[in-house]
Order: sequence, then structure tokens, then C-alpha cells
Amino acid sequence: MTKPVSIIMIEDDEGHARLIERNIRRSGVNNEIVAFGNGTDAIRHLFGADGSGLAQKGNALLILLDLNLPDMTGIDILKQIKENKYLKCSPVVVLTTTDDSQEIKRCYELGCNVYITKPVNYENFAHAIRQLGLFFSVIQVPSTAT
Amino acid sequence: VTAEAQRRRAFWQILLFAAGLLVLTVISGGSVYLVNKARQDSQWVIHTIEVENQVNTLLLEIRRAESAARGYLLTGGADFKTDHEKAVAAIIPALDKLTRLIGDNPAQRDSIEKLSSAIETRLGQFARDLDLIGQGQPEEAAAMVREAAAGDTTTMIRDLAAVMIQEEERLFRLRAANADRSQTLAASMTGIGSGLVVLLALISVVLVRRSARARNEAEARLRDANINLEATVDERTADLREANNEIQRFAYIVSHDLRSPLVNIMGFTSELEELGGDIFRRIGGLTRVAADGPPLAPDPLSGPLSSPLGEVALEGPDKQLSADFSEALGFIKSSIAKMDRLISAILNLTREGRREFVPVRIDTRELIEAIVSTLAHQAAEAEAEIHVAPLPNITSDRLALEQIFSNLIDNAIKYLKQGVPGEIRIRGRTKLGYAIFEISDNGRGIDPKDHQRIFDLFRRAGTQDKPGQGIGLAHVRTLVRRLGGTMSVSSELNTGSTFTITLPLTWNASNRNADS
Repeated sequence: MTKPVSIIMIEDDEGHARLIERNIRRSGVNNEIVAFGNGTDAIRHLFGADGSGLAQKGNALLILLDLNLPDMTGIDILKQIKENKYLKCSPVVVLTTTDDSQEIKRCYELGCNVYITKPVNYENFAHAIRQLGLFFSVIQVPSTAT
Repeated sequence: VTAEAQRRRAFWQILLFAAGLLVLTVISGGSVYLVNKARQDSQWVIHTIEVENQVNTLLLEIRRAESAARGYLLTGGADFKTDHEKAVAAIIPALDKLTRLIGDNPAQRDSIEKLSSAIETRLGQFARDLDLIGQGQPEEAAAMVREAAAGDTTTMIRDLAAVMIQEEERLFRLRAANADRSQTLAASMTGIGSGLVVLLALISVVLVRRSARARNEAEARLRDANINLEATVDERTADLREANNEIQRFAYIVSHDLRSPLVNIMGFTSELEELGGDIFRRIGGLTRVAADGPPLAPDPLSGPLSSPLGEVALEGPDKQLSADFSEALGFIKSSIAKMDRLISAILNLTREGRREFVPVRIDTRELIEAIVSTLAHQAAEAEAEIHVAPLPNITSDRLALEQIFSNLIDNAIKYLKQGVPGEIRIRGRTKLGYAIFEISDNGRGIDPKDHQRIFDLFRRAGTQDKPGQGIGLAHVRTLVRRLGGTMSVSSELNTGSTFTITLPLTWNASNRNADS
């Protein structure tokens, strides 16, 4: 009945993307992970060719978002997701290097569900991602609105 | 341009003033001279008239004497005789007076001499006439009178007098013309001089008005400048703040962007390490399989940290390979760790720069004693004693002050001389609205050539036997500057160092706060 949750990862740094994916897998999450290296591709995937978001109707999505993208800021993507009637219920996890309090506040105001700062130290980074993976394995994700 | 113009204007004014003074002096001198000359000329004119007058008087007296003598001769009346004698008596003084009066004129002197002799002759004739009349010989006397009348003495006297009067009239005309000229000259001189003075005064007035206008303009400009100064200062301050913010943002962005690839390097190095561990374990297992029996089951839970390579004993060249691999990874990891520390330091510094400072009243002594107590353990290890003298209280940011003093005291403890009991003193005083703090030690000291260097980021000086990144003093100086103060060091090698911090007694956050 319900489709398995697919994780949309929007992360411009391929290395980070790979490390995130590996560490999520290590924590035992086996869901599909769809990675995008830039904002344009991610937007096309999320909102479809017509930009209405109809393409993702009924899918359960969990969005992992980096704020520093080469072609747009993650905040713009976050805003669009939260303004779209199909996608607005999908949890968005902002995973970025910035720990600026203004930025964090702004993201939560726009409707981000979790904000995580990438730790500088790799051990901590790996640890944080694995915990995030554990979190993914227990949270309930709604299907996009029908 | 303005300074040059002002100097020129002042020069012209002085010149004008001098010219006016000169003209006035010349006019005054000239006037005095000319007036004197005119007076003299007038005197000469009067003198001429007097001379003429005197000549006429003389002639009159002679005629009187003559007519009286005739009367006496005709009537023999005593009245006529008395009259004649009076006239004769007046002739000589009149002649003397005339002689005196014309003493200056050589031409007239000739005439007067002739006149004198003529008059003398005539007087002699009179005397003889009177004698003859007195002796009762009127006929003789009448004959003499006729003879005298026929003779040229009287004519001569008349002619001489006429010549003299003519001469005097000539002189009168000359002198009158002279006097006239002098007066005209004096009048025109006074006129021209007055005109010049008026002209100079006018020029002066124009110049004074112009300079007054220039001064007014300058005053207006000064007022404007004063009004604008505040605005300009605000503008510059805003620019500076903007530039400062930009530097902060730049440092922040750079350190962030550097950190991102570093996470990859660290991450994949860890992955590689894990991978290496797996590979060598397999090699070990395979070698053992060949030697002993079934391979060891791989441990799925072993992470990159919990899997040292030494689980499976390797032998010979395999062991060497494993050691080389570990060594290479070790270098990579330690370099990464160092780079990570440096970038984190920059990040912390920029974060510190972005933190908003809150000025509060601080009991400085209490603050420093709290720091000293947290450092008590290190101090005891280094056998150091810390003396805190009474310190002035200030209004500033508490956290910043804590960081400043703990860094400096920590440095003082850290860089003491080996084997010498440390002595660290913290003193303070106030001066002109500033508090001056001194942290001095008897430690190893700093070479004067390094005094600037130690405040630079990532730079250290002296023997590198203590851990550190070369950040502390750079950080402290940034904080001190943000608090509106300055800091300096005085030190010699092996004699200890003194760090001096000057902070405003009351720091006003509004004028320095970067993010406000």
C-alpha cells in the first residue's frame, strides 16, 4: 500500500554525498537514496517538468538538503518545497557546514524540520550521519498529499 | 591657493598702507614748506610796498621842507621855519629807514647812495638858504632858491625816487607773482594729496571689504565643515565597519569552503584506513589459510577506529607493507588534523569577531583571581607564584576580558624558564580615562626582533617546546582592539616579559560593535 520512503539527497560535493550515503547505509538504512549534485536537477526531479510537484504525488519523500549549492541556495529550494501543496509535508533535513544562528533561524522559519551542522571533524561527522540514519530508520514519513 | 592669495593680499594691504603714509608725509611736508614760502613771498610783497611807501614818505618830507623853505622865504613867518625844520628833521630818519629797508637789494643800494648824496646836497642848500634868510639877505636866498630850482638836485631826487619806485614796482609784480604761484602750488598740492589719500582710502576700503568677505566665506565654510565633520566621521566609520565586516565574512567563507574538502579528505582517509585494515586482514587470513586452516570471519561491526591492523599477525614483506601503509596514513591524518586545527582557529577568530560585545561593570581583581584559580594547577606544576596587585575596575565585555587575561597569564606560566621558580605579577593603574594593566613575568623573554611577529596569526617565537598554534596573542590583540584599547610588549631574552594592555575605563559598545 504505502510506498517505501525514498531519500532525496541534494549535495553538491560528491565526496560528502558519498560519505553521507555510506554512513547512512552503515546505520542500517536500506531505503533508496537519490542524489543530486545541483539545485536545478533536484528541482526538476521534485517538481517535475511542469514545476507543479504533481510528479511526486503519493510518494513518501525525505529530503536531505545542503544550503551551499553551485546554482542556487538551498534556502530557495526549501522555500519552494514548503510552498508546494504536494511536497510541503515531506520532512526536510538541512545538512550544511554553516552554523550561523541567523541562517538556522531562517531555515526553521521556512519550515525545515531538522537542521544539522556538518561537524568539521570526520569522526564526529560520521557519527552524526549514522545517528541521522538511525533517526531515519525510526521516523514516520507521510506520503505527499494526494 | 588660499594661503598664497592671503599672503599676497596682506602684502598689498601693507603696501597700500605704506603708500598712504608716504603720501600723507609728503603732503604734510610740502604743505608746511609751501605755506612758509607763501608767507615769505607775502612778506616780500609787503616789504616792497613798505619800501615804496617809504620812498614816497621821503619825497613828501623833502617837498614839505622845500615848500616850507619857500614859504619862509616869502613871508619870513616863524611858522614856516618851524615847519621846515620839522620836515628836515624827519628826512634823515626816513632816509635811514629806507636804507635799512632796501639793504637786501644791491641795485637799490646804488640808487639810495645817489639819493642820499642828492638829499645831502639839497639839505645843504636848505641850510644855506635859511642862514641867508636869517642874516637878512632874502635876495641872496631867493637867488639861491631859483638856482636850486634850476639846478638838477631836486630833479635828480625826483628821478632817483622814480627809479626806485619803478624798481620796487617791478619787484612787487615779481613777488606778487611768486606769492601767487606758491599759494597755487600749495593749494594744488593739498588738493592732489587729499585726492590721493581719498583714493588710497577707497582702495583700502575695497580691499578690507574683500578680505572681510573672504573671511566670512571661510567662516561659513568652516561652519559647514564642522557640521559635515560629524557626518563624514559617521560615514567613514560605517565604511570601516563595512570593510571589517567584509573581511570577517571573507574569513568565514574561506574557512568554511576550506573545511568542506577537508571533511572529504578526512572521511576518505578514514575509509581508506578501514579498507587497508580489511585488505591486510584478508591477506593475513589468506596466508594463514594456506598455512593453518579456514579464514577468519570478517567482523562487520568493526569501524575505522576499532580495527587496528595488528589483529592478524603478518609476516615478512606483508608486515613491512602494512607498516608503510600505516605510516603514510598516519602522516596524512596528522597533517589533516593540523590543517583542521588551523581552519578551526580562523573560524573561531571570525566567530569571536562576530560576537556582540556587551559592556558591563567588571570587578577586575575578582575576574583575574578567578582566572588565576583555574590556572592554579598549571602554576603549581611550573612552580610559579602569581601576585595580583589592586586593579582598577572597568566597564567592558566580560568574556573578552577573561579571554585576554587568561591567554596572557597562561602564556606567562607556559613560557617560564626551566628550573627557575616563576614569578608572575599583574598590576594596574589608571591614566586619562584609560586603565593600564601590566602582566609581567621572569620567564624566558622574547627577542626584540620577534616583538611584532608574536602578534601575527600562526606565528610563534623562541624555542618551540610547548604545544600551540600561534593564535593566542593574535586573538588577544584583536579583542583588545575591539574593546577600543591597545597592547604592547617589552621584553628581553632571559629576563622576562611585560605585556601592557591599555583599555578605556568605560567602553561604549555602540561605537565599535561590528554587527549592531
